[in-house]
Amino acid sequence: MTIRARMTLWYSGVLLLSTLMIGIFCFDELSERRERLVKPSKGMEEILAIVLWIGLPAILLSIGGGWWLMRKALAPVATLTEAVRSVSDRNLNQQLPRTYNRDELDQLAEVLNAMTARLNDSFTRIQDFTLHASHELKTPLTVLCGETETELRDESLNPAERERIASRLDELRRMALIVNGLTLLAKADAGLITLNLAPVRLDELVQDSFGDTQILAEASGLSVTLQKCDRTIVKADAHRLRQLLLNLADNAVKYNQPGGSIQIGLASTDRTAELTICNTGPGITANVLSRVFDRFFRGDPAHNSRVEGCGLGLSIAQWIVSAHKGSISIESVPDQVTTVTVRLPVLESQRV
Amino acid sequence: MRVLVIEDEKKTASFIRKALQAEGYAVDVCHDGNEGLVAPTTTPYDAIVLDIMLPGRDGLSILRRWRQIHNRIPVLLLSARGDVIERVEGLDAGADDYLSKPFALVELVARVRALTRRGGDSKSTVLRVADLCLDTITRVVRRGELDIELTAREYRLLEFLMQSAGRLCGRMMILEKVWDYDFDPCTNLVDVYVKRLRGKIDAAFEPKLLHTVRGIGYVLRPPHA
Repeated sequence: MTIRARMTLWYSGVLLLSTLMIGIFCFDELSERRERLVKPSKGMEEILAIVLWIGLPAILLSIGGGWWLMRKALAPVATLTEAVRSVSDRNLNQQLPRTYNRDELDQLAEVLNAMTARLNDSFTRIQDFTLHASHELKTPLTVLCGETETELRDESLNPAERERIASRLDELRRMALIVNGLTLLAKADAGLITLNLAPVRLDELVQDSFGDTQILAEASGLSVTLQKCDRTIVKADAHRLRQLLLNLADNAVKYNQPGGSIQIGLASTDRTAELTICNTGPGITANVLSRVFDRFFRGDPAHNSRVEGCGLGLSIAQWIVSAHKGSISIESVPDQVTTVTVRLPVLESQRV
Repeated sequence: MRVLVIEDEKKTASFIRKALQAEGYAVDVCHDGNEGLVAPTTTPYDAIVLDIMLPGRDGLSILRRWRQIHNRIPVLLLSARGDVIERVEGLDAGADDYLSKPFALVELVARVRALTRRGGDSKSTVLRVADLCLDTITRVVRRGELDIELTAREYRLLEFLMQSAGRLCGRMMILEKVWDYDFDPCTNLVDVYVKRLRGKIDAAFEPKLLHTVRGIGYVLRPPHA
């Protein structure tokens, strides 16, 4: 039944009820008068009494009924609004709830479902495209890298030739890194990666990464401190966490300033491990901050031209964190300090 | 030492052959899965480089078949997919090692070398290269008469380089053995560590032992070797 039909039916019900009420009151009043054979007098007062005692309740009933009717009619709209609000690129394959009573709202839900299905289809195609593209690039890249390396092994090369070929090989390797990063993310999007989860001592990984960060930072004259490192066990893929930590440490070194510093900390509660990496440096402006996790996004081209990397580091970091059911965020005060915070669910922790 | 390379991409097969021949291996190449499956039954090989995606029959099923008939030849799997699942799948199927494309030739050669050396390696507890020596039990490193202080990571790096003394080591192999990384980080971590290590074991001494081969990797070798 359509909503129009339903509303008409319900409202006629309410009106019928009101009319019945008025009818009963009138009948009651009239029969009383006939009994007492009273002649009408004081017209105004009579009318006021009738309006007050009969009209008002009928009006109130109509208002109440109308309000109840509208609420009942609009309830599915509210449900649908909530359902549509939660639609994002991550759950496009989920369908909106339907009542299957073929009313206007059910039809709307059906049309919206068809739309998200089409969107989902397009998204999947783009994902597949990235996956196939990165895959197709691997064969020619393998050949190019292999042949260039074979050339480089030629003992008779003079130093200038050697340098030229080696520099070409560097760029090819960088391309290979980008293609590998893209493959990883495309697979993660398509849900094709399963993590090798096991209890992992996060604090030990952080200690390890602290050592590496010190060495990486030393060359740029940066000081690195480990402020706090609670004993923490998380359920995680140790390789991916190492990748995450190195990734963040490397960023903190690259986007720093001469004589700057880096602070690493791991503070854990019973439920959440909070890893923070603060670094001094030019920082990130607010309008850029929301896009730093985007693939290949480079905030400031002038600054980044001298920073090497594959442009996928933070996207990969974000994937690793979310695959572990955690969250990652960045806060930045330009020219002062930039803080990356990673929160992960904890299996067991002990404060130190 | 004879190695079989089963790889359908002709150019890839060709440079793998060249690189392995340069290392002194005799190399046979095969471009088809069905051909590859029966090749080891007629010729004894010391190691096999096997691509997963092959026409005729895929690498994993070939490998499973070999292991079923108790053929234990060391196998290095090559894959263009290169993800964790496939790595696990490959090792479960009986592969001895795994390399994802695109790879550095130096890595491939090092892995094949490790496969063919397996079993017959006499393990000495003291490693020596010229006057540099490393005791794997006491963890003492000396060059000439001088003790050298190393951090744990530097020690592991030096140990790995000394174990492969005289041979080129690629960055990925170093990351895997010294750092236990299964990914290539976009950093110069290895270069920085090698530079530090060089500062400790080479800077104040002659002759120099730790060399960088531009574009390929590192090698620790005695002079005139």
